[in-house]
Amino acid sequence: MPIEKMVPLMIDGIRDTMYMTVVSTFFAYLLGLPLAIALVLTSPKGLAPRPLIYRVMDAVVNIFRSIPFLILMILVIPLTRLIAGKAYGSTATIVPLVIAAAPYVARMIESSLLEVDPGVIEAAQSMGASIPQIVFKVIIPEAKTSLIVGATISSGTILGYSAMSGAIGGGGLGQIAISYGYNRYQTDVLLVTVILLVILMQLIQVVGMTISRKTDKRVRE
Amino acid sequence: MALIELRHLTKTFRGKMQTVEALRDINLSIHQGEIYGIIGMSGAGKSTLVRCINFLEKPTGGQVIIDGKDLATLTPKALRALRQDVSMIFQHFNLLQQRDVRGNIAFAMEIAGMKKADIERRVDEMLEIVGLTDRQHNYPSQLSGGQQQRVAIARALSTNPKIILCDEATSALDPQTTTSILNLLREINQKMGITIVIITHEMSVVESVCTHVAIVDNGDLVENGTVEQVFSQPKSEAARKLIFRKAGADAGVMGDRMIRIVFEGNASSEPIIAGLVMECHVAVNIMYADTRDVGGKAFGQMILQLPEDHLQQEKAIYYLQNKNLRVEEVNGHAH
Repeated sequence: MPIEKMVPLMIDGIRDTMYMTVVSTFFAYLLGLPLAIALVLTSPKGLAPRPLIYRVMDAVVNIFRSIPFLILMILVIPLTRLIAGKAYGSTATIVPLVIAAAPYVARMIESSLLEVDPGVIEAAQSMGASIPQIVFKVIIPEAKTSLIVGATISSGTILGYSAMSGAIGGGGLGQIAISYGYNRYQTDVLLVTVILLVILMQLIQVVGMTISRKTDKRVRE
Repeated sequence: MALIELRHLTKTFRGKMQTVEALRDINLSIHQGEIYGIIGMSGAGKSTLVRCINFLEKPTGGQVIIDGKDLATLTPKALRALRQDVSMIFQHFNLLQQRDVRGNIAFAMEIAGMKKADIERRVDEMLEIVGLTDRQHNYPSQLSGGQQQRVAIARALSTNPKIILCDEATSALDPQTTTSILNLLREINQKMGITIVIITHEMSVVESVCTHVAIVDNGDLVENGTVEQVFSQPKSEAARKLIFRKAGADAGVMGDRMIRIVFEGNASSEPIIAGLVMECHVAVNIMYADTRDVGGKAFGQMILQLPEDHLQQEKAIYYLQNKNLRVEEVNGHAH
């Protein structure tokens, strides 16, 4: 493909991929964070044990986590049409992306929150802290570093999913790779999209890790 | 009425395979201004006991009454309010790693819902008391263990509590740091009249700061009273073990029949052992002797190994008893 056609194509691709990744990550956290907090609190060893509620949420998360993304995308097409008005394109892809990523994100957050030293939580309880105070003043701030690392990994995974969605009508770099590289044998386009995806992944990784390191107060300076 | 009243306190942990009786029928009264040591071997149930005092552990039976309030009858909200009067410090300090010293001290007051300006003022006062003003912007990972415990003490004091519970607060610290932390606790007790409960497995901690002591052994409270009483007349096996373990281990006592004699004030001016040897012609071996300052009073004790001959043993004991000394058998369990 000539360069003057390739550049605008790739710019559009990057824009769409970033758009899907950022918006999906945002909504996945919007759903995943409360879910993770609920899992941590209601677990049998949590601050407000509710074994039944915990088991139901735990099972739902596992079910969604075990459906491969491409199949999930097909399964939720009716819902996607309902929300986005159509089942193809970048905006529509956000719906299955969020549904696939939210349980994943919930597990990532849950494991970060569980890393918080139980001694510090006990100290807060001994001062008369309420459960919301413990969550927002102790657990989340203390898990901050681990949460940022988790967010980095999660958005990387969502970036990967968004590229995969190109196979069945999603947008962005994944769709370019499949329609030009796979269907039309344009290997140069395929290679460029791969390189761009690698660069995007690196960018997310470097930015995320730098933020987590810079904000961690546990390290001696 | 005592500030802290434990009545028939029982705590049983029910597991799938077994149930563990961590505490059995504990009765204890702690009055305002006391420094009450609760001592026992590890696994004796003392950490569970202190957690029952602020209901971090809910007892299975019995009552915990603090300042006239039965904790079991309080609503969750009232219980949280009461906990602001009962601060706690821990073996591993349990500071927020992502907040600096100021932030950690402010934390307890934020929980209590104090105004920001008041918090800032009070943090300055607390920093002054624990001597960490120059470290106020450091994070816990940049502080030594002793400094971290000082931050924890400042945090505990900030809400003006009536009681401070210390759960093995000096166990992770070296001896010098332990002394300085204990001195700080004593100062707080004397200047502010705050009642302190100290959980420990170290007799030296009880000796140096406590006014009263309770001995917990295998879930039972076996003995309690003033430190003087319990040290000079230990009644229970567990108390003897704890007191003599220190004495015996230091001196490496071993032998057949041994007795322990206790000097209190008047008797120490008289040459008792010389008299025993000269008047009764009984040779004794001094296995261990020391004088300690317990609650401001000199308190001497000596462990003597007696000769094999039974008659000579009785003679020596009779002589010592006639000098108005308390004589106790030191049996095999003692060391």
